[in-house]
Amino acid sequence: MAEEKGLSSDDLKALSDRIIQLSNADQCRVNINSSWRGYTRVATNRITSAGGADATSINITSVFGKRVASVSTNSFEDDALLVAVRRSETLARLAPESPEYVDELNLQSYQDNQAYYESTGELEAITRAEAAAIAIRQAESAGQIAASYMDVRAGTRSVATSNGVYGSHSSTGVAYTLTSRTRDGLQSGWAGDEANDWNNIEGQRIADDAIAKCRDWRKTDLDPGQYTVILEPTALGMLMLRMMNSFNQRTADEGRSYFSKTGGGNRIGEKLFDDRINIYSDPAYRDAETSPFNNSGQPINRQDWIRSGTVEDLARSRFWAGQLDQEPLPSPSNLIMAGGNDSLEEMIASTKRGVLLTRFWYIRGLNPRIISYTGLTRDGTFLIEDGKITRPVTNFRFNQSLVEMLQNIEMIGPSVRVAASENSSVSTPIVVPTLKVRGFNLSSVSDAI
Amino acid sequence: MTGSPLHLPHDVSRRDFIRLSAAVAAAGILLPSTKPVAAQTMTSSECELLLLAIDVARSAGAQYADGRIIRTQFEAIGAREQMITQVQSTDSFGINVRALVGGSWGFSATQVLTRDAVAAMAREAVAIATANNEVAPSETVLAQVDVFPDADWITPHTVDPFDVSLEDKAALLLRINEEALRVNNIRFSNSSILSVKEERLLATSEGSVIRQTLLRINPSINITAISPDGSDFQTRGAVVEPAGRGYEYIRGLELASSAEGWAEEAAMKLEAPSVEPGKWDLILHPSNLWLTIHESIGHPTELDRALGFEANYAGTSFIYPPEDVINKLRLGPEFLQFVGNRTEFGGCATTGWDDEGVPAEIWPIIEDGLFVDYQTTREQADWISQYTGITRSHGCSYGQNWESMPFQRMPNVSMLPGENDLSEDDVIGNTDRGILVEGRGSYSIDQQRYNIQFAGQVFWEIRNGRKYRMLRDVAYVGRTPEFWNALDTIGGPSTYYLGASFGDAKGQPIQVNAVSHGCPISLFRDIDIINTA
Repeated sequence: MAEEKGLSSDDLKALSDRIIQLSNADQCRVNINSSWRGYTRVATNRITSAGGADATSINITSVFGKRVASVSTNSFEDDALLVAVRRSETLARLAPESPEYVDELNLQSYQDNQAYYESTGELEAITRAEAAAIAIRQAESAGQIAASYMDVRAGTRSVATSNGVYGSHSSTGVAYTLTSRTRDGLQSGWAGDEANDWNNIEGQRIADDAIAKCRDWRKTDLDPGQYTVILEPTALGMLMLRMMNSFNQRTADEGRSYFSKTGGGNRIGEKLFDDRINIYSDPAYRDAETSPFNNSGQPINRQDWIRSGTVEDLARSRFWAGQLDQEPLPSPSNLIMAGGNDSLEEMIASTKRGVLLTRFWYIRGLNPRIISYTGLTRDGTFLIEDGKITRPVTNFRFNQSLVEMLQNIEMIGPSVRVAASENSSVSTPIVVPTLKVRGFNLSSVSDAI
Repeated sequence: MTGSPLHLPHDVSRRDFIRLSAAVAAAGILLPSTKPVAAQTMTSSECELLLLAIDVARSAGAQYADGRIIRTQFEAIGAREQMITQVQSTDSFGINVRALVGGSWGFSATQVLTRDAVAAMAREAVAIATANNEVAPSETVLAQVDVFPDADWITPHTVDPFDVSLEDKAALLLRINEEALRVNNIRFSNSSILSVKEERLLATSEGSVIRQTLLRINPSINITAISPDGSDFQTRGAVVEPAGRGYEYIRGLELASSAEGWAEEAAMKLEAPSVEPGKWDLILHPSNLWLTIHESIGHPTELDRALGFEANYAGTSFIYPPEDVINKLRLGPEFLQFVGNRTEFGGCATTGWDDEGVPAEIWPIIEDGLFVDYQTTREQADWISQYTGITRSHGCSYGQNWESMPFQRMPNVSMLPGENDLSEDDVIGNTDRGILVEGRGSYSIDQQRYNIQFAGQVFWEIRNGRKYRMLRDVAYVGRTPEFWNALDTIGGPSTYYLGASFGDAKGQPIQVNAVSHGCPISLFRDIDIINTA
C-alpha cells in the first residue's frame, strides 16, 4: 500500500512529450491526471467497504484552425497513445469551427506551492481501518451507531501544449467525516475534517464531537421562520462552495447573474455585501493548496473576489477577456473567506433566540438572480435561548439568498478548512469561518433525523 | 437579438470527412471512422486475466470473490447557439476484484492488465478484506444465485450511437439552436448529446461468466430568454429524457422541429404571472413526476439506506424498520402500484444481469398502496427474508466503472398506469383549480425522504378543467407519505412515459448510476405551493 502513488512527474513529462511529437495537428494540448485513491467506509459500526485504485487519464486536445476536439484514454502504451492522438485529430477535423476558440498558450511560469504531504500519500489501509475503529468503539460504548468515510487521494497532474506550456503539480488530500446516530434513530450528530495533510485530521476530536452532538435528547418542535442562526464552518462552507460558481463575468455581462447590471454590464466595483466580507482564492494557502495552473495552462495566483464587501473582480475566460480587451482571469481553484475574532461561545452567549446549524443536505439552486438556494439542515440543529444552547430541534428546509446572508452578518469567527462536499469526498478546498447571521429563512420543518 | 447565426457548411464538412478518410487510409492508420477505437467485445485473453484474479483471490484466502473487466466509453458533443463548444471522447478500461474474508469485503482495481499487476491487485483486495475483518469483524451471507457460465446481453437498439458520425450530431445540435433562436427574446440556446457504452465482463468464484454491453444516450437542451430591458431571464430545459437505447431514440424525438415550441415557452415565462402561494390541486406530467418518484419512492426503498449504510452521506429512510413497514406501511391509495424493474425497455437501469450475476427481474415494491419490498443485493436479501418471504436478491448491484466497488443501486422504479385509460385531457378535465407541472426543475428532499420541495419547467394554471394561462416561480412542497396519499387520479397506459437521470449519486466514494422511472400523468389534491421568486 505504501508504493508510489500514480505516475511520477517525470513520467508525465515523458508521456506529454511523446504525445506532442505524435501530433499532426496545428496545435495540441495534453492534460494528464495520475492519482491513487484509497478509502474506508463504516456503517452500522462495521467497515462496509474499503479499497483503492490507481488511475491515470490522459486527455488529448487537437486543434486545426479553429476546429477542436478532445479524446481521453487511460491506456498509455505507445500504440494506444497513437490511436488516441489520431482519433482526436479525426474528431477535430470533423468538428465545425469554434468561433470562441483561443490559441493554446505558450510558455508560462507557475508558482511552486507544495501540496503533497507524505503523511497522506503513504497512509495505509490498516491505518485507515484503525482510525475508523476508534470511532466505532467510542460510538458503541456510547450506545450509538457510527457511519464514517475516509477518502484519501495522492497524485500528480500536468498540462502541456505544443506551443511550449508545461506544468506539473503533485498534491494529496484527505477527508474524514463521521455521523453518529442513536439506536432508536431519534438523534444524529456529525463532525468532519478535510486537509491536504493527514496530520491535520483530528480523528479523536471528530469522534468526540459527532458523538457529543448526538446526545440522547428528544428533539422538540420549533416553528419555521426567519431566525438568527450560527452557521458552523461546515454549514457555511457548503453554501460558499456553490457561491463560487457565481463569480463569473460573462454570465453577468450576458444578463444571467446576480452580478448583472440592469441595462447591461456587470457590478464589479459595487459594494454589495457587509463590510467585513472578504473572499479570495489562493492556491498556496496553507493546507488548502491547489494546482497553480488550470487545465488550459493559465497560471492561477492569489485573487480577491470580494474585498470589504465590494466586488473586486469576476472570472473571465480568455475568449471573453479578448472580446472586452481585458486580461483573462481564471476561475478560483479554492475559496477562502477571511475570519474574524468572535468565538463560538461569544456567538452563542450573545444570542437571545437563534438556531445553531451543523451542516446541510441536498442543496439546490433556486433563483440565480438572488443566488438563492434550498436545502435541509442535518445532524445537529440546536435551539439557542438567552445565550445558551437549550435543546435539539427538528431539522428544517431553508430557502435563502446567499447575497442576503452575506449582508446580514452579526459576528465572524476564525476560518478553518472544512469538508464542504455533501458526499464527503476530498473536494475544492474551502476555508471559512463560523458565521452568525440574522434573518436566515428556515422555511419548513423536516421530520428527518 | 439572436445575432448572426453561422451556418454549418454541411457539404464542406462532408468533403473534409471524405478527404480525411482517404488520407488516413493512405497513411495506413487503422482509423476507419469515428467508431471507438477500443475492441467492442472482451477477448479470451481478458477473460483469462479475470479468472486469474478470481483464482489468486481464492488462493490468498477469500471464501468468495468476483471481478469485472469494464470498458466505459463516453462521447459528448455540445453546442451553444451556432457554435460547437465541446467534442469529447473518453475511454476508460480496467479490472477489479472484490474479495470476501470472514464477513468483510476488500476491493482493489487496476488499469494495468498484465498477469503480475492483476495478481497483485487480487492479493491486495484480500489483504484489505483481511485487515477489515481483524479490526472490525462482521457477518455476510450471500443469497443463492444460479450459475451462468457463458452469458451475453446487449441493450436492445438498432443504431449504436458510436456509429453515428460526429458531423450528423453537430448538424442536429446547431439546427436545434437555430430553431430556438428564431423566437423573440431568446438569446441563448445550449444543446448536447452524451452517448455512453459500457462493456462489462463479470466472473464470480461460483462459476458465472457474463458479458454485457450497455448503451445509454442523453440529449439535453436548455434555452434562455432575456427580457428586452435585461431585468429578467427565464430558461426552458429538461425538454427530453435520457434513455437506455440506441441513436434511433434521438432520431425519433424530432428535436429540431420541437425546439421553437420549447423556446416559445421560455419566452412566455418572462411574461407569466408569478404564482399565488397556497393550496392547489396539482397535476404532475410524467416529465416532472418521474423525479418525484425517484426521490420519494426510489431512494427510501433502498434497503442499505433504510438500514443505516448511507447514514454519513445519502441518508437513511422513513420506510423503516423493515419489520414494521413491510406489508404494513400505506403509501398511497389502493390503485397505487410500484415495481422495481430491471427489464423495462428503454430504461437506463435495464440490464441482463447485475454486478453479482443475478438475472434482471421485475418485482413489486408498492402493491395496492401498501409498501411490500425493498431493493436488494445478494448480501441484503437475507436481512429481510423473514419479513418478505423472499430469499433471492432482486439484482440491484452495480459499480459505475472498473474503479468502483459495486453496491446496491436503484433499478428502474416505475409507477404502473391506471386500469381506466384516462388521457391527459381527462385528468385536466377533472380539475377545477389546479396547476399542471411539466419538466423537472429544482428539486430537494431531506435525508430520510420526508420533506419534499420540487419545482418544474413549465406551469399551467388549470381553471374549470382547462389550461388557462402559464404561471411561474412554482414549487410544490410536502411530506412524502401525505403527498402520496393525496393522489386522486392517474392516467392510463397512453399517458405512461419514462423519465430518467444519468446522475443518481450515492456511496462513498460517490458513484453515479443511471436510472429511469415510468409513470402516468397524476392528479394530487390540496398540495402546498410556494413562490420561489
